Amino acid sequence: MSIALSHISKRYGMFRAVDDINLEIPRGELTALLGPSGSGKTTLLRIIAGLEQPDEGGALRFQDQDLAQVPVNERRVGFVFQHYALFPHLSVSENVAFGLRVKPRKQRPSDLSIRKRVDDLLQLVQLASFADRYPSQLSGGQRQRVALARALAIEPEVLLLDEPFGALDAKVRLELRRWLRRLHDELRVTSVFVTHDQDEAMEVADRVVIMNHGRIEQIGSPQEVYHRPASAFVMGFIGQVNVFRGRLPGGANHPSDRHHGRFGAIYFVRPGDVEIQPLARLDAEALTVSRIHAAGPLVRVEMMGQDAQLVTAELSQERFRQLQLVPQQRVQVELRSVHRFDS
Amino acid sequence: MNAQPFHFNPVRIALLSLVLLFLLLFLAAPLCVVFGEAFAKGFGTYLAALTDPEARSAIWLTLMTASAVIPLNLVFGVAAAWCIAKFSFPGKPLLVSLIDLPFAISPVIAGLVFVLVFGRNGWLGPWLSDRDWHVIFAWPGIVLATTFVTLPFIARELIPYMQEQGRDEEEAARLMGANGWQILFRVTLPRAKLALLYGIVLCNARAMGEFGAVSVVSGHIRGKTDTLPLHVEVLYNDYDFSAAFAVASLLTLLALVTLGLKTWLERRGATAPRATR
Repeated sequence: MSIALSHISKRYGMFRAVDDINLEIPRGELTALLGPSGSGKTTLLRIIAGLEQPDEGGALRFQDQDLAQVPVNERRVGFVFQHYALFPHLSVSENVAFGLRVKPRKQRPSDLSIRKRVDDLLQLVQLASFADRYPSQLSGGQRQRVALARALAIEPEVLLLDEPFGALDAKVRLELRRWLRRLHDELRVTSVFVTHDQDEAMEVADRVVIMNHGRIEQIGSPQEVYHRPASAFVMGFIGQVNVFRGRLPGGANHPSDRHHGRFGAIYFVRPGDVEIQPLARLDAEALTVSRIHAAGPLVRVEMMGQDAQLVTAELSQERFRQLQLVPQQRVQVELRSVHRFDS
Repeated sequence: MNAQPFHFNPVRIALLSLVLLFLLLFLAAPLCVVFGEAFAKGFGTYLAALTDPEARSAIWLTLMTASAVIPLNLVFGVAAAWCIAKFSFPGKPLLVSLIDLPFAISPVIAGLVFVLVFGRNGWLGPWLSDRDWHVIFAWPGIVLATTFVTLPFIARELIPYMQEQGRDEEEAARLMGANGWQILFRVTLPRAKLALLYGIVLCNARAMGEFGAVSVVSGHIRGKTDTLPLHVEVLYNDYDFSAAFAVASLLTLLALVTLGLKTWLERRGATAPRATR
């Protein structure tokens, strides 16, 4: 089911947590709301769920249904909390069965079919053998999978996840987000998840909505927001970036003379777009290699240019061996791609 | 508990002795006196004092009062704690301080207030006596006064516990389609079970032991409106010391049972599966 928000705002006193948001979330897609803390992404998610009331004047629709008059417990929203919010006094299977057991008597499935559905869901989240345990006896990753099974039990129209991996350690995070992506490919429930981790959003989501100060900065596929950032904020927030104020490093070596010397302009260059070359041309501006981080698939090289300008480059291990770089070596750089945003 | 290895440090010994002396003087000695005096004239006299018709009436009245007060305070305490811990609304700080009012007011004043409202010359007195309903100097008055005095006990135990638990679980239940009652009975109360039991135990102890407020509204009709604490006073004023202490020993036993239950509940709380946060 698609979700449509128009002119959604939420103010707390003078603070605009969410500021006039217009957003279409297409059916069956996995969308990430990405932004720093305080950008309004969690508030927006809670508004979609109905846990927060938006200010007057906005409209929220699932498919063609206006949700203003639909109470939270009738929205059929699956919600996964950062801290799991499992019921500690109920076993894993009773946690998953909760949404079915509280249905009005006429709609409530029989005990047998509830048990069947719970078994299926625990199978789906690979926790079938944990049915009789209690939440306190599970690891963080297992708890979050129980929370997901519980949210799916009511066959939600949309699935909302609030920093679902935020409380987990790095390795489990990585496993679980890949698993979530595969699960989504299988179920195709319209899903929205909130995260402040750009790697997570880029890896998992079909579409990324980047938020800042309660507003949307850009909406697009992970490739789009990475390669064609719409604003300086997006450029800086997604991935590593070199920021140059006023002048580019490398003297006359930058791609377009137009940019050179424009005082006040801010240039953004991804470390991967900085090409290191042996110092060859006489007129080229030389940079001094200051640090080399070679542990990893890519080698990060930090260099110091004129006016103590710091430049970071990323290159393959192979290229690194070709160049035979060592600290204090003098090199020149070529910038393959420069982004400029006028504020 | 990680006990530190014990060192014979003079300051430590001095402090420990001071604490032990206090405990001996204010807890152990009175306890011994109560039971000593109660059995001073033998077990027969003790039993006779407890099976005396007036004593039996006092025990009965006390039990009846507690069994009316606890459900009343249970409903109030849960409702108040739920409002305060799980919702935001204007006037919340006022409600919180109102709950503490019975702690701040002398029980005698509380009793007098009820006399002024429900007594023969009070606001509702004529209306009540027209219908031949007895509140003051009768069981309903005793229940009212005791309910007032014990009002904070359950709410005060529940509020911090429920606040600490946050709202995530309730929101999760709501999103899964649960209505308000289902959330209360299936999520909130089961999670606050230990705090609730603890509150009930404390409320019960106070309800059975309340003297001041009940003394004002009961009218001291022997064998009719005397609760256990009032009966102790009556016997004591009659110089019937062994009977007074025999009845007092019942209240003391109640205190010991309460203490035991409290310790047990706290132990359960420490070992029970913790909230998942």
